[in-house]
Amino acid sequence: MSYAYLFKYIIIGDTGVGKSCLLLQFTDKRFQPVHDLTIGVEFGARMITIDGKQIKLQIWDTAGQEAFRSITRSYYRGAAGALLVYDITRRETFNHLTTWLEDARQHSNSNMVIMLIGNKSDLDSRREVKREEGEAFAREHGLVFMETSAKTAANVEEAFINTAKEIYEKIQEGVFDINNEANGIKIGPQHSPTSPGGLAGTGGQGGAQGGGCC
Amino acid sequence: MEYFKSGLKSVLGAPPPGNQPSGADTVERLVDRLQSSSLLDDRRDACRALKALSRTYRLEVGTQAMDALRQVLEMDRTDCEIVGLAMDTLCNITSPETFEAEVENYGPKNKIGEQFTEIFIKQSDSTTQVLAFLEEFDFRVRWPALKLLTHLLGNRPKDIQEIILVSPLGVSKLMDLLSDSREVIRNDALLLLIQLTKGNANIQKIVAFENAFDRIFDVISQEGSADGGIVVQDCLLLMLNLLRGNISNQNFFKEGSYIQRLTPMFDLPPETDENPLSGWSPQKVCNMHCMVQVIRALVAPGGPAQATAACQRTMRACGLLQALCDILMASGVPADVLTETISAVAEVIRGNTSNQEFLASVMAPSSPPRPAIVVLLMSMVNEKQPFVLRCSVLYCFQCFLYKNEVGQTQLIQTLLPQGNEAASLTTGQLLCGGLFSLDPLSNWFSAVALSHALIDNSIQKEQLLRVLLATNIGKPPVTLMQQCVMLLQQGNKTQCKLGLLMLLCRWVSHCPPAVKAFLTIESSVAYLTALLSSQEDTDDLQETLLQSMCALLLGLCVHFNDDSVPNYTKEKLCHLIENRLGLERFQDAIGGITRHEIYSRTLKHPQPSTKDPSDLLLDHEFCRLLKILEGVVVKSVQDGSNPQEGKDPTSTLSPSDSALVSQYKELIREQDAQIHRLNQTNETLAKEKRDLETQVYELQTSISHLRDQNLVLRAAQINLTEAKELVPSVDTIDLTNVELEKYKNTVRDLENRLAECTLNLQKQERTECNSNNSEYEKLLKEKTLELEKMKKDQENLLELLTEQDSKLMQYKEKLVALGEKVNRIRRKFRRTRYRRAARIQQLKYYRRMFNSITGINFRSKMKELFIIHGIISSPFKTIFNQNYLDQSIFY
Repeated sequence: MSYAYLFKYIIIGDTGVGKSCLLLQFTDKRFQPVHDLTIGVEFGARMITIDGKQIKLQIWDTAGQEAFRSITRSYYRGAAGALLVYDITRRETFNHLTTWLEDARQHSNSNMVIMLIGNKSDLDSRREVKREEGEAFAREHGLVFMETSAKTAANVEEAFINTAKEIYEKIQEGVFDINNEANGIKIGPQHSPTSPGGLAGTGGQGGAQGGGCC
Repeated sequence: MEYFKSGLKSVLGAPPPGNQPSGADTVERLVDRLQSSSLLDDRRDACRALKALSRTYRLEVGTQAMDALRQVLEMDRTDCEIVGLAMDTLCNITSPETFEAEVENYGPKNKIGEQFTEIFIKQSDSTTQVLAFLEEFDFRVRWPALKLLTHLLGNRPKDIQEIILVSPLGVSKLMDLLSDSREVIRNDALLLLIQLTKGNANIQKIVAFENAFDRIFDVISQEGSADGGIVVQDCLLLMLNLLRGNISNQNFFKEGSYIQRLTPMFDLPPETDENPLSGWSPQKVCNMHCMVQVIRALVAPGGPAQATAACQRTMRACGLLQALCDILMASGVPADVLTETISAVAEVIRGNTSNQEFLASVMAPSSPPRPAIVVLLMSMVNEKQPFVLRCSVLYCFQCFLYKNEVGQTQLIQTLLPQGNEAASLTTGQLLCGGLFSLDPLSNWFSAVALSHALIDNSIQKEQLLRVLLATNIGKPPVTLMQQCVMLLQQGNKTQCKLGLLMLLCRWVSHCPPAVKAFLTIESSVAYLTALLSSQEDTDDLQETLLQSMCALLLGLCVHFNDDSVPNYTKEKLCHLIENRLGLERFQDAIGGITRHEIYSRTLKHPQPSTKDPSDLLLDHEFCRLLKILEGVVVKSVQDGSNPQEGKDPTSTLSPSDSALVSQYKELIREQDAQIHRLNQTNETLAKEKRDLETQVYELQTSISHLRDQNLVLRAAQINLTEAKELVPSVDTIDLTNVELEKYKNTVRDLENRLAECTLNLQKQERTECNSNNSEYEKLLKEKTLELEKMKKDQENLLELLTEQDSKLMQYKEKLVALGEKVNRIRRKFRRTRYRRAARIQQLKYYRRMFNSITGINFRSKMKELFIIHGIISSPFKTIFNQNYLDQSIFY
């Protein structure tokens, strides 16, 4: 499948907040009530359309457990977007957001779009974190906010697509250097006159043609 | 400075004459200098000297200098030269190879390098520091850092993997090296990454995340793709490490459309006449092996079914399967490449119906053209072909039949007596030929291949019972099963017997008619019991397997027995087992296989793989069958031989009842078949009906479309006439003519279409029933009527047009008359304008007069003048003021 842009996402947040379920709902449109603990990271992908352009999302779902923290940090640098997830029925997952955010800001590139997500909105009776609190936190830290339910699929599409829209706008504004792959953005094969070459730091080595179509 | 240096040398460097210092002494002195010198140059010299000694006196340098070198890395990190030297020294110390000088003292396989590695990495930040030096662009630092890491990783892979995994951006730094323009660094980085990704899924995923596949493919294409050198092979090995067993990365590989990028690499080298192998250099063969391994890693059996199926689909869609099949059918491909490719094709088609169909449709470029599968099977039953190649063909054929009911049916079909005895070789004939050949391996291959046509397919099991073989001229034909049992009883090789037993076990399982056929063959049961009771205990593997299979076959005959053979009803067979063997002996025998290592090995992977042809004894699917049925078979035999303990309901029936039951069973089976047939016909009829309905619908829509067009046309006509009456002009007439032309065309078009429709309708009429026929005729008539009406309308239009033409002339005349009137008015208008201009002229004249006369009271005079003439307007005012100003300047 051809695409205009490719965005790399990561999903982060405490263990058990529903990161893997969000991804499964987004890629496979199904919900699995019992999900094994994620080991390290798992990969998922889907195509979306923004502004009439095909955009491929490559999503790395990270393990929330503390033990994997050092591994999952390796994924911050190359991501264009991050979904920071907490569980609205567990106050402590909300309290840990600051730590997550610090971690993300420290290891990612400064332009990474972060979307704050309060998951499990279907469990309103057991709610411990008010919607307003999430909104306030997002406002304070300059994040986009949304409450979702991986179970009912409410807002799941929107969460992923709105993040992509934000990134897309930043590209249009010229904030992102799309030729630097470390930003987590790639131009589709037919959209770039030459395939994106090596990294800037290592100096000029040209001619790295990805022998794609011809 | 120089003076100071020489002074230092005199203190430290000058050895006492005649007393050659030992290596250890020199090292000690150098280390001391390295640690205590305050001058960088001195430390650099010491480091250089240590490096020079580190190969010959590795132990000494390693034990004494480790800390000093660490210190250099820490304190002098800004000086590229000394850092490079220190790391070179460390490289030598930790080198996994044994240096010549050491062999004498410490043996050829000492672990000095490994031990020093252990010491070095004990301080975990040492490794992190080396990682940090990778970011230094200077070759003198980056390269030794890379080499040192490679040594450390080679000696202590697990530890270094953990350290790199948790150090921030550790993997990223290594990945960046792949884009280094200096090839030696890029290539060494590749080797390091291969080591690093071995057996660590987390690192594999991070490496993939860091765009590894893009970079690997970039390097591959830079290096000449499949024809490239060893670097390409390294790239492929890294790719393989990232994919093998890593489902997340496989998914990423597929989603990133990297499978498509593999396809062109499989393009065959151009064939040359003089030397067909010229395109296959040893390196190319190695690359090819790796490429095939990459493919197999993506579709390996045992992976998640959904992901495997998706990869298989992509591989067919992007032409990869085609490319692989091309290699299969090409000439001059080395045998080992061919073998691997066959196995790859096997896994690409395994369990995927459309891919299996694809392989079935591939034709070999032989004359006459034969299906590729036939050609493959020909080499399987050919003794002269290499063993591994024959194994891979069997694997390919097994994968072709795996969950492929159509393929299974077609295979058995070729064995059944059919009307047209085609002269061409068929798969079934080849397998039968193999079954009865003198080569035990061919027997085994053919029996196993045939057994795979029967997996989960009871219809084919019954069909195969109908197969008859002509043995000798003049003798009556025998059934395939009879022939198999006969071969079993003849003194054939064990390998052949095992093959036949596996076939028979598969055949009789879940198929009472096959059990019946087997039991009615003379001496079949006798052979089994005789073999089982012959040797009590044996250590011979082949004998154990043979007994085990015999026991299973006997057990299956009990379990799937419908008591239709009076001599060998379930009960009688159980008694026989009890009396001749004893229940325990029977159980022991049946479980004999599972106690052997070969059983668990075969069960692990569907591909038949042994080094030696004589070791090829068990088939994967047979082992699965045994695993599933062993328990129930043993239980059946147990229950059958202990009639006191609760018998199952079927065995409590009286003989007449059981006959009745079997009669009913027969009936049910027949009815089942009938229902199946009826269902099929029903389906086809429904499909036909649907097709016809859509056709009717299409026709109706086209008719309504035509009607609409007609309406539009008529409306346009009416509009046109109205428009003409309102604003007739020459232009519109022309336009109408053009439009008329257009409509004429449309009408012609419509007529054509109508004719087409009529044709279609006529066709339809033939297929449709007569009731619809009249309806269409009516429609057709309506249509024709409409057309005629339209034609009439058109004529009317034409008439109208001529009428309008004349009208237009009238109007033109009128217009001319009107024109005169207009001219008169215009003239009047012009006259008034002229008068006005004259007045303005007059005004200008007055002004000039004032200018010539003295300027006194100019303004009031002017105003007066204006009042006299009764004209005051703003532009005049401004002109007036301007002039006044000019005047004032003048004064």
